[in-house]
Amino acid sequence: MAFLEITGLNKAFKGHAIIRDLSVAVEKGEFLVVFGQSGSGKTVLLRLIAGMLQADAGDVRLDGQSLLGVNPEYRDIGMAFQNYALYPHMTAFENIASPLRSRNVPEDEVQKRVHDTARLLRIDHVIDHLPRALSQGQKQRTALGRSLVGRPAVLLLDDPLRNVDAKIRYEMRLELPRLLRSFESTVIYVTQDYKEAMALGDRIAVLVDGTFQQVASPHAVYDAPNNTRIARLFGDPPINLLSVRPAGTAHGLTMRIADTMVALPQTDEALVGRECMLGIRSENVGVSLESTSGIPVTIDAITPLNNRLVMLLRCTDGTEVFASCPQGGPLEGLRGRHQAWADFDLAHALFFDTNDGARL
Amino acid sequence: MQGKSVLRAVSLVLIGLFFLFPLFWVFLMSFMTNADILRNPPSVIFSPTLHNYGALISGNLGTVVGTQKIDYMLNLFNSFVLSSGSVILSLILGVPAAYAFARFKFRLGEDMAFTLLSFRFAPPLLVLLPLLIYFQQMGLYDTYFGLIWVYQLITLPLVLWIVRGYFEDVSEDIELAYRLDGHSWLQTFLRISIPLARPGIAAAALLSFIFAWNNFIFALILGSSSVQPVTVGALAFITASGIEYGQIAAALVLSIVPTLILALFTQRYLVEGLSLGAIKG
Amino acid sequence: MPNPAAATMAVSHAKRRSGARMARILPYLLSLPALLTCIGILVPFFSAVYYALQRYNLAFPAGRKFIWLDNFVQLFLSGEFWHTITISLLYTALTVGLEMLLGLAIALLLWRRSFVTNLLSVALILPLMVAPEIASLMWKLMTNANFGILSYFVSVIGIHDFRWASAPQSALFTVVLVDMWVYTPFISILLLAGLRGLPRQPFEAAELDGVPTSFVFFRIMLPMLLPYMLTAGLFRMLDSIQQFDIIYAMTQGGPGNTLMVFQIQAYLQAFTFTNIGRASAILVVLWAITFALSKVFMKNWLRLRERAHGLA
Repeated sequence: MAFLEITGLNKAFKGHAIIRDLSVAVEKGEFLVVFGQSGSGKTVLLRLIAGMLQADAGDVRLDGQSLLGVNPEYRDIGMAFQNYALYPHMTAFENIASPLRSRNVPEDEVQKRVHDTARLLRIDHVIDHLPRALSQGQKQRTALGRSLVGRPAVLLLDDPLRNVDAKIRYEMRLELPRLLRSFESTVIYVTQDYKEAMALGDRIAVLVDGTFQQVASPHAVYDAPNNTRIARLFGDPPINLLSVRPAGTAHGLTMRIADTMVALPQTDEALVGRECMLGIRSENVGVSLESTSGIPVTIDAITPLNNRLVMLLRCTDGTEVFASCPQGGPLEGLRGRHQAWADFDLAHALFFDTNDGARL
Repeated sequence: MQGKSVLRAVSLVLIGLFFLFPLFWVFLMSFMTNADILRNPPSVIFSPTLHNYGALISGNLGTVVGTQKIDYMLNLFNSFVLSSGSVILSLILGVPAAYAFARFKFRLGEDMAFTLLSFRFAPPLLVLLPLLIYFQQMGLYDTYFGLIWVYQLITLPLVLWIVRGYFEDVSEDIELAYRLDGHSWLQTFLRISIPLARPGIAAAALLSFIFAWNNFIFALILGSSSVQPVTVGALAFITASGIEYGQIAAALVLSIVPTLILALFTQRYLVEGLSLGAIKG
Repeated sequence: MPNPAAATMAVSHAKRRSGARMARILPYLLSLPALLTCIGILVPFFSAVYYALQRYNLAFPAGRKFIWLDNFVQLFLSGEFWHTITISLLYTALTVGLEMLLGLAIALLLWRRSFVTNLLSVALILPLMVAPEIASLMWKLMTNANFGILSYFVSVIGIHDFRWASAPQSALFTVVLVDMWVYTPFISILLLAGLRGLPRQPFEAAELDGVPTSFVFFRIMLPMLLPYMLTAGLFRMLDSIQQFDIIYAMTQGGPGNTLMVFQIQAYLQAFTFTNIGRASAILVVLWAITFALSKVFMKNWLRLRERAHGLA
């Protein structure tokens, strides 16, 4: 049995379902990233796990014990909030010490554990300051320290890097996994940033419309998204989605993309004759200025993005396609419109149902 | 432009004069002998005397017909007891309710808060007449407790509505964080919610004190001289002391000094308190 | 074999699981004391309504009986009560109207911050903190015919024998003056807070564009200030229509019945004529007026409150 098990969770407010039939199992010591956009129900989910809200249906089990109706203070859950939620009238030390104080830990041990945690988080020099005297990064570390110091069974991190500046965010992204591993915590980490999700998680649970539409490794979510919604959430520029109808020929499957017939390496018979969506990521679209067997396109715009060049291509029938390639190639420095040819690496092609968006 | 600023300056002076002169003059009178007061034309030059205050504090008032014992100090003491008692009771009753009202949106809370508020605006005599009859039957007439209970009519809505606003501003996340640290609901309420709403609670308490202190009609109807506050006492005092005007002025000064001092402390919260939190000062 | 560890587990479990039930009853538990107070207020209120439907005179306890709306019919048939209604409304209109005008003027004068205006806005708090009844006594001292400083002032400007509250011609003027002294600062302070909370841009833009001051005042400022004025005005109306303290301390409703406003009339009926039934009927009529006013007030007040707390 998994360490933290959420089954069939439901929560509605005024007849409006926020969390519907949500299930997930988290192993001990696992780092699960919950990825969802604002309004997807993240906050409500965390509050249900933390015990601030009561679920309408479903169960949350920790180490085999149901947490239904258990008060937050008995749940053995630590949480770091997006807005830090520090106690403004207590010093950083007392903020971090709070979970220990509630358990009547002897004073010398409180001192030791708070200072150890503070040192680990590199905030020991501001430990006697009130929250209002701390920088954003220090506040964030204090909040993190408070959630960690009691070594809770489960750690909920609600988008903790959201409000810190870029430098600290970058540092923390590198530092957090190591830190959390040293505390051997089981972590549920909520974020709106797909790159953060990809960088941190053992697994990513994709929250869409109040339920997990996919729970898988970062690679699996990226390479094999369960549906078009998930496919669109990961990747920048977003994945290209084109309507196609593969046909069977003697040489295997072919399909028409913008007036050009291309052959498919896949031999999935189920696709034959079916109206569906072809999903292909920008990095799998090669662009060449020399005439090739590829699809003739016009390069409408080129813009650099994270060490890559992103191109907006327009096919002969008007379909727009994103392509990207490493910087420094022949395309670097190109200005204006250009005639080019696009090669779709169809080994990485994904097919989705046109109606419900599910991957085929 | 020149004429405009002169007009502005004159208006400011007139306003200052209208609102401050009465206080200033009664304050001066309280240090005058009757002869100084009756002088025509009046003069601000006189040799000040503390005799009026001395007479009030000792309770032996000189009148034309001889010395009379009037315990005006008891009235002052009663005002303190009634006002502090009302504030304490209001805080005990109102702070938890304000929290419930701020945190949990529930029908009953809404109804209650509005009932209390609507009686803040109802004619006080409407409730006082039946209460007088009940209090006499229940033995609450002429008691501190009876009056303090009725004073809740003024102080409780004030506490409920001001403190509620401050509780609404306390982040729910902070409370949840403290719960998750392993503290019970009560510990969280006492150590997080209340300290964070403290400015509001202090403001509500000070304002309630002032409003209770300044109340007149409740004690006029529900108490006799033994529990009556200065507002009622001062009126009786005027009748009793006859033409000892200096003593009357001193009595009035004594009755307003406590609230004036408190007001200077609370001026920051005043706007909010006066408008029951409708406008943050 | 019984397992003691399991037993403690079970106990702690019961405690752990109090969460959901506790969360449901907690709001009610917390507001219970205030609720009881509420009921404590509602009981005498309904008693008063009940008395108003009775012939109930403490001097003739035997004559007490249920007479339905007779008290009200008699009230509305008596000229005395119509006088009460007239004088109460007149008092309310005069005080609220004059205080609004003066209050707005003062707020505008104090709008621009400077040492003097800051000092004055603190000074304005002082009259407001004086009990209205004590304020009346202060004014009584100042308008005394023998030595009152104000009586002296008016005699200096040639008005001799001005008798302030003791003359029927000037009694209303005098109590309105005292009311203004006590309550104008309330309106000023509220409107000043409103003014200082107004957004800057429209005024700056108007100044840059050279828009005339009168246009700025009537078309930009007044509309923005209107909710504050409405709240302050209704608040004062609710107080003024049931004014008791100032009038009672100044004249006890006199001279004669010049200032016999609602609550003074009711007080007189109850304590001089021991006619509880009639007194209650007067108060019920007054309550109906204030109730209607308070409905309008609360609607406005809630909207302002939400704005103040940044919810709207």
